[in-house]
Amino acid sequence: MKLSLNWIKEYVPLPEDMDLTRLAYDLTMSTVEVEGVENLADQFKNIDVGVILDIQPHPNADKLRVCSVDLGNGEVQQIVCGGSNLYVGEKVAVSRPGAMVRWHGEGEPVKIGITKLRGVQSYGMICASSEIGLFDLFPFTEEATIVDLSAFDAPAGTNVADALGLNDMILEIDNKSMTNRPDLWGHYGIARELAALYDLPLKKFEEFTPDETLPVLPIEVLDTERCPRFMGTKMEGLYVKESPFKMQTMLWRVGLRPINALVDVTNYVMLATGQPTHAYDADIIADHIIVRRAEAGEKLLLLNEKELELCEDDLVIADTLGPVGLAGVMGGAKDSILDSTTNVILEIANFQAPPIRRTALRYDNRTEAAARYEKAIDPERTEQALNLSISMLRELYPEMKVVAFSDTYPEKLKCAEIDVSLDWLESRLGKRIPNEVIEAKMSSMGYTVTFDGDNMHVVVPTWRSTGDVSIKADIMEEVARMYGYENFEAAPITTSFDSAINQLDVDIERKVKEYLAFRCGMQEIFTYPWMTDEYVEAILQSTEGLFELVAPPSPNERFIRSSLLPNMAKAVTLNLRYYKEFSLFETALTVKDENYSAPYYENELLPLQRRNLAGAFVGSMDDVVTLFRQAKGVLENMSRFTHMEGFTFKKEEKPVWADDVVWLNVFVGEEKIGNLALLSKKSAMACGIKNSAVMMFELDIDSFKPFTSRTNEFEHLAEYPVTEYDISLLFDSTISWAEIQKTALGCKGQNANLQDVTFFEEYKGKHVPEGKKSVTMRLIIGSKEKTLKTDEIEACVAVVVKKLTKKLNAETR
Amino acid sequence: MKEKLEILLQEGKEKILAAKTETELQEVKASLLGKKGSVTELMKELPKLAPEDRREFGQAVNKAKGELSDLVDAHREALLLKSAEIPADFDCTVPGIMPTGGALHPITQMCYDLNDAFRSMGFEIFQGDDIASEMAAFDNLNFPPAHPARESMDTYWLKGHDQGEANEKLCLRPHLTGESVRYMRTHKPPYRFVYPGRVYRNETTDARHERAFFQYEALIVDKYLSFTAGKVMIKSILSKVFGKDVPVRMRAGFFPFVEPGFEIDMGCLVCGGKGCSVCKNVGWIEIMPGGTPHPNVLRAAGLDPDEYTGFYVNIGLDRLVMMRYGVDDVRLFHSTDLRFLSQFR
Repeated sequence: MKLSLNWIKEYVPLPEDMDLTRLAYDLTMSTVEVEGVENLADQFKNIDVGVILDIQPHPNADKLRVCSVDLGNGEVQQIVCGGSNLYVGEKVAVSRPGAMVRWHGEGEPVKIGITKLRGVQSYGMICASSEIGLFDLFPFTEEATIVDLSAFDAPAGTNVADALGLNDMILEIDNKSMTNRPDLWGHYGIARELAALYDLPLKKFEEFTPDETLPVLPIEVLDTERCPRFMGTKMEGLYVKESPFKMQTMLWRVGLRPINALVDVTNYVMLATGQPTHAYDADIIADHIIVRRAEAGEKLLLLNEKELELCEDDLVIADTLGPVGLAGVMGGAKDSILDSTTNVILEIANFQAPPIRRTALRYDNRTEAAARYEKAIDPERTEQALNLSISMLRELYPEMKVVAFSDTYPEKLKCAEIDVSLDWLESRLGKRIPNEVIEAKMSSMGYTVTFDGDNMHVVVPTWRSTGDVSIKADIMEEVARMYGYENFEAAPITTSFDSAINQLDVDIERKVKEYLAFRCGMQEIFTYPWMTDEYVEAILQSTEGLFELVAPPSPNERFIRSSLLPNMAKAVTLNLRYYKEFSLFETALTVKDENYSAPYYENELLPLQRRNLAGAFVGSMDDVVTLFRQAKGVLENMSRFTHMEGFTFKKEEKPVWADDVVWLNVFVGEEKIGNLALLSKKSAMACGIKNSAVMMFELDIDSFKPFTSRTNEFEHLAEYPVTEYDISLLFDSTISWAEIQKTALGCKGQNANLQDVTFFEEYKGKHVPEGKKSVTMRLIIGSKEKTLKTDEIEACVAVVVKKLTKKLNAETR
Repeated sequence: MKEKLEILLQEGKEKILAAKTETELQEVKASLLGKKGSVTELMKELPKLAPEDRREFGQAVNKAKGELSDLVDAHREALLLKSAEIPADFDCTVPGIMPTGGALHPITQMCYDLNDAFRSMGFEIFQGDDIASEMAAFDNLNFPPAHPARESMDTYWLKGHDQGEANEKLCLRPHLTGESVRYMRTHKPPYRFVYPGRVYRNETTDARHERAFFQYEALIVDKYLSFTAGKVMIKSILSKVFGKDVPVRMRAGFFPFVEPGFEIDMGCLVCGGKGCSVCKNVGWIEIMPGGTPHPNVLRAAGLDPDEYTGFYVNIGLDRLVMMRYGVDDVRLFHSTDLRFLSQFR
């Protein structure tokens, strides 16, 4: 919202030398955010009034003229101009060199210089209104019409801003910062805040008391809940004319286009008080005005020529023939002010806020009026708006007669009343503020304050009583912001040390994430909680039990994730465009429309939500073994590095997205907590993944069992040497490493020097017969009593080889 | 005899210096000074000389042996420094090998930085649920019944759960504060906790707007607390994030769930408060809302608002990371794009 400082000054006597930066800052700190302060006169720099002394034809151009222009103080300049309405003695707007001008009213402003036009020197230019941003005040239809300022009492050389009375500062307020303050949506409301901030008096509007003998204007309010108050005033002896120039500029400077005096008054009143009003042509209203709900399907042609098909949730202003206006949003085309209007019914009404917002949104018509009504304006403000409307109309139309009036206001607004303990206020503010200071500030904002011992009784003014101020915390805020938030020093937070924070669940997640990122070289990603249909189809292959959004981000992103893998697969696909080998992980909540419980409130049933961890390893199809081992290694070692109960792997139930062979279920104890598997060819193809192998895992973090402390165990260092002895043997390719290892370790009974058997390498291919594999294992051999001799080591190896040969048909190579 | 020694000495020196490895040097040394070395052999010829020449020649041979032996030692030193296995054209400008390529998401990094700071001040870390009821998301937080945020143009409601009473309607949580009330209901006061999490709003996305974004909420609730305690929390966050003290101001702001509410600004770090395009020439940047929890919110948490009060701040992590690194598109955080994510270590 734009505010004119001059306009504000009509209501509060701000000092002439007021520091505007300070004012903007104070207003921002205490009340609303001032986004900018603009000097209106800045755009007229170097644009002065000139008087045309002489007009000569241009030697080289038919349409151009060469003018001598008096620029005051004896300065006469030659200016070339193509204006069609030039005459000697005309006062014109001259852009001197350095002025910023929009050529023909279009594009970005350009800087004017001294130029030659078709060979004749021109000192700046004589401007059209559109070229200096004044089109709305000086509209024209014929091309090449320049602004004629002859009617203004300003000598040559006067700056245009001074000549037109446009020396003003414009404050730009962030509308979002005052959605809770319906009282601020006009100049008067901001003036009231400034009066309180700077301890200045606030001007009151002239009052209009309708003559009691006036006939009652019949108005039928059928929905008093939606329309708590409706003031109708019928006036005769009016007609459409231009408003005085000054009033036009007042509207113009805050962004509204002047239209005619009758409409301008309604706009002016709204910008002054924040109360929208609407004028109807009384002669066109059929019989009387009715405020009612629209009937479904009823049509209304608005002022802006848009035709609406209404619904029952809309409130309309109607006459006996049908709707004439969309209440609180916009008037209709039929009954608004026309060129022929002489008799007017002025509507000053109060409407319930939420329905106005719904209606404005429904028809995408968020007008200035709707923007104000949807903030919940207090119904008492209509009186202020009536006072101002009548006094302005009387000034513009001395012959005007008020012929009928009515005020439908069945239920008067009650002012909020709040009791505040002064001790309470002191403890919440961290400071005692003297009663006199509180009273002075509060009463200049319209509050009535009375003290009784520790109690402060506050009566809230009507304009703050529509929900804005209702509890003592509101009063605390009023006192604090007017006292100045900056006048409160930061208070240290006191603490008591009773125990260290110990949150195993929080810590384990962080440890796991840091393990994956820092130790395993994986990159963390975040994906949305919704999944894309094609990946749901590729990975989950079912939508059973999935939550669906009422208004999804897009039609194919309607399902909420029950697993992190569809989005993980999508992330893999996206990154395969730029990378061949990479690994990703994500932690997030997963949810299904089942397993409801009430963890927080008895009556708040929520679905079970599980924190999951998913990962993906992407590599070449040529070496799936390595990719598998890399992925498995990450899970095998996770518990060790993050200090929790270890995982075991079993094949119990193949995940639907997994390859037929390369898959494992992951367990903690007896509990299945997830899967690790190669993405099946079918799923990979459905994701659009062609030549890459993708190992994926998903685990339920909530099932992790973190240890309460680190779990390292100290072992004494070996006193005698330990030997690593590698042996390679051929096995049938169906014999698993687990079997081999188990069998080899079985030799411990026969030869106590065998300490461990670990996997080294597996090989199939050249030099290995079909159906066989070569397995290299490492035997850890040593004694706790002595240093072993070579023959003792070899004896141990022989025992292992013999057992493997006998039990598993191993062959030496 | 003397000439023979001269030649042996000369040749010996050349051989020593020509040795490229220690092993070679050892061999050369043995061939010269070993038991059967050529110089040692010369000594065996001593008896063949005339007695008067023996003494002089003996001394000459010993001197030569000493010279050669010294040269061997010196050359060994030189060889150790040069380590002849590594060629002389070894290029030291080739880049190093990255230890491991992984990293935490930049939002997680920021979140952990803040967690550490708040833990050090005795705050717990809370993690809540993504799905909330209308009661938790709006009613408990003092949102009026017809508040626009409740509508499906703003909030993601779940199909089949979008009708009925407020405790039955389910949505993706639109903010964290509702969850904070849940924390309070399941813990004993006084409270001091932070709550990092992701929230969801039905919005049209662009470089500055996202449908899913990260918030970081900090809440302290106690019996005697002035709203000015909030300044300490705010300063802690900012000094942790930016590594230095940042000027902070609290100004009037409105949010249904706090009273009084504040907009919290920090001094613009780009221009140092003088005014620039980043701060729209005001010298301050709006970074978070804050305030004292509204009495109705405390009541929803099962507390007596006459007894308890508190302070809350809620900072947008996306925005903070964007400011910290100059990221100009908020959608990158959910892009899963490694080209973006791998920039943050």
